[in-house]
Amino acid sequence: MSLRAALGIALFAAVVATLAVTGPFLSGYWLAVAYQTLLAIGLAYGWNVISGYAGYFSFGQITFFGIGAYTTALIASHTSLDWRIAALAGGALAVAVAAPAGAIMLRLRGPFFSLGMLGLAQTLRVVAASSGFTGGGTGLYLTATVTPLAVYEWTLAVAALAFAATVAVDRSAFGLRLRALREDEQVAGTLGIAVTGAKVRAFLISAAIPGLLGGGYAMYLTLVDPPSAFSTRLELQAIVMTVFGGIGTLWGPLVGGVVMSQISEQLWARFPQAYLMIFGGLLVVFLIVVPRGVVPAIASRRRGGSRSARASGAPAAAAGAEP
Amino acid sequence: MSALLEVRGVSVAFGGVHALRDVSLDVRAGEVLSIVGPNGAGKTTLFNVVSGVRRPHAGSARFDGRELVGMPLHRVARLGIARTYQVVRPFHRLSVVDNVAVAALERERTRTAARRFAREVVASVGLERFADMEASALTLTQRKRLELARALALRPRLILLDEVMAGLTPTEMDEMAEFVLGLRSRGIAAVAGIEHVMRLVMRVSDRIVVLDAGAKIAEGSPAEVMDDPRVIEAYLGAPLSAV
Repeated sequence: MSLRAALGIALFAAVVATLAVTGPFLSGYWLAVAYQTLLAIGLAYGWNVISGYAGYFSFGQITFFGIGAYTTALIASHTSLDWRIAALAGGALAVAVAAPAGAIMLRLRGPFFSLGMLGLAQTLRVVAASSGFTGGGTGLYLTATVTPLAVYEWTLAVAALAFAATVAVDRSAFGLRLRALREDEQVAGTLGIAVTGAKVRAFLISAAIPGLLGGGYAMYLTLVDPPSAFSTRLELQAIVMTVFGGIGTLWGPLVGGVVMSQISEQLWARFPQAYLMIFGGLLVVFLIVVPRGVVPAIASRRRGGSRSARASGAPAAAAGAEP
Repeated sequence: MSALLEVRGVSVAFGGVHALRDVSLDVRAGEVLSIVGPNGAGKTTLFNVVSGVRRPHAGSARFDGRELVGMPLHRVARLGIARTYQVVRPFHRLSVVDNVAVAALERERTRTAARRFAREVVASVGLERFADMEASALTLTQRKRLELARALALRPRLILLDEVMAGLTPTEMDEMAEFVLGLRSRGIAAVAGIEHVMRLVMRVSDRIVVLDAGAKIAEGSPAEVMDDPRVIEAYLGAPLSAV
């Protein structure tokens, strides 16, 4: 076990180091592709903790990405601090907002939580669009020049952190508590789990990651406006990637992120007109063939055919319920 | 000797229906108390009040001197009160071991230690062959055992068993009776909700409380309760002599 853990850490460090070292050698186009992919993977990992492990399907974690982006832009345009310190502050503010917001929103269950989070994101988007200090609908333009490579490195670091945090959740007592409350909150409570505390902590992790990524995005675009900071596209992308790869699994966001961004990129290059239609069609097919995602489907195949029936959940449960 | 659990004057109403009316009872450390009554008598509601799931409109429930009414679920559990649900509620997508490990987390702290302990508990209820399967693969009888294993993994001083006999075959009922008696020999108090299996009620119970339409109509040793004319009437209808 400890040998496996050591090998895992070594492999993880090697992958991150390789990505960091290759950055300067990438052309503008490939650096952009690599940045977008890492951003999507980081957002997917952030989303996966509250939505996958804890089962609170959020349509509004982009709220914290927006808070991170605006905070960074404001600090960068009014002070001479290093933008990475500003981005850290953005992450900190996202967590500070998420603590009370989570305590309130997590009282909602199921679709009401999902819609509540969507409402929170839209509310902040409107606030940003109508406030003076955020530049209103025009947003804030940044004059400070930050190279795309620096943003790529920052995003790589945050995505690596998000992955490491997920490993910690996946392997820990905390993760088991989250999975238990995802399945049945009341039963988890009667078995001694402090449900509210666990949910809020998961929510904070799922706010910190997008909060830290938002600052990099602002610097990358040299602009923050409401549609980019509270980007519906980025939110949906993170959700789709995670669901495709395997929601609530360690590898799901990574597999989904790499595969989906490649498919998306290739389709866009070859069929610019029909790209969204083909992409949507593929997604429907995948959801029908592997409803729990690619990673659980592969895992259950490796464990042997007996478990594959159970991967779809409902039929086995129905059969088991017969006395 | 003061009781482990003291329920005093508990009333619960759903709309105009009184699910419990002014119910008081004691559970002593290590005893088996059976709560007997027909469907709808208020057994599950009583379990919900004691385990913290439902707040009563009046009355109190004290465990070891601590008031349970208004206490969050997990704190009730950590005091040492475990419960099973009438309709079994496994964590479907967790393995059998992890279902049980969840209940062991508060004492064991790490997941590895909780799983190790959970394996012992899973084996003690005869589910070791299924330990690494998803709980959704279990049959109803196995799921009932899983509920018991989760309750045991809390290392409780009191277990509330809601409708323990429901849905079991006669052989399984006998096994369940042995299990309940086993709890007593380990010093764990049990409150067993049982609808109508009087043979087993007589065998496992130290004392019996009879509920009818939300009110306590009798309490005492099995022999006393079975001779009580009100119990006979509530349970079996009017006495034979009146027919």
